Amino acid sequence: MTILLPLLLLFAAISGTAVVLVRDPNRQVFAIAANGLVLTILFDALQAPDVALSELAVGTAAVPLLFLVALMAVRANASGEEP
Amino acid sequence: MSPRFRIALLVLAGLVLMPAAAQVMAALPPFGSTIARYGARINAITPEARHVANMVSAINFDLRGLDTLGEEFMLLAAITGTVVLLRGRRGEGTTGRAMRLPGRAVIPRSDAVVLGCRIAGPLTALFGLYVVLHATVTPGGGFQGGVILASGTLLIYLGEGYAGWRDSIRSHWLDALEGGGALLFALCGLVPMLTGAAFMQNILPLGTFRDLFSGGLMLVENLGVALAVTGGFTQLFLEFMEETREAEEPDEPGEESA
Repeated sequence: MTILLPLLLLFAAISGTAVVLVRDPNRQVFAIAANGLVLTILFDALQAPDVALSELAVGTAAVPLLFLVALMAVRANASGEEP
Repeated sequence: MSPRFRIALLVLAGLVLMPAAAQVMAALPPFGSTIARYGARINAITPEARHVANMVSAINFDLRGLDTLGEEFMLLAAITGTVVLLRGRRGEGTTGRAMRLPGRAVIPRSDAVVLGCRIAGPLTALFGLYVVLHATVTPGGGFQGGVILASGTLLIYLGEGYAGWRDSIRSHWLDALEGGGALLFALCGLVPMLTGAAFMQNILPLGTFRDLFSGGLMLVENLGVALAVTGGFTQLFLEFMEETREAEEPDEPGEESA
């Protein structure tokens, strides 16, 4: 348990930084999902299962999906408008 | 704003704010060591006063129920805004085809994905229902369970494709779920007033501690939140997915040549 928390905090920092450093929007969406998963495990380790459930459902499923669909819609509209 | 001015502003703001932030951080309780006084008080009072094992639900639906009512209508307003913005452009028609990027190969869905989704979909829905129903006993509740249920419907899209998803999800049902859930929550506040009690006072029998039926009025409020969140999030997914639908006729005549 003593090693688990620092490790998880480190992972959270790494995956959070990765979200910023990844520049391709498609990959960035998956980086966000991975960051959400790390945060879920961290919240669970800190004995906050309620927050962990919310983070899992919203942070790793709902938000990445909305981003992916939005990216697709933007791309499809852009290629449709070009003559 | 020039870059140099921005950096100067940042340094200035940092100089002002950093000492204050450092002072606050120094006064924080040490990491993970203590339970705050409010938490200890809640742990001591709630099991006896409300017969509820999940303190988070007790706080959300009872002790600060009015806050949660506000959050509920915040969600309703946000979803309504999304629907108004997105549906206005697309209209309400439904076609089976999803939009494709021109020139991109269409890869048929593999049987493994279909099978996986057909197995995982009902299981996800079941787990969502479990989380909703056990709001007062185990971690979770209407919001978490509702989001799990809503993301379970996405497995229909993944497994059956766009047409199957559109066939099984009806927009009007979602509207009814979302509005009905919020209405149910609001009624939970108003109905106690008919009996002479205060707004949102817990007038139902509280049930037994650690039982599925514990918490009284909290269970009804939880159901309202679950309905509203399931309907709301699915509606949100639906409206976003609709953005990738191919319009029946192109908006502009010149679009076909693309």
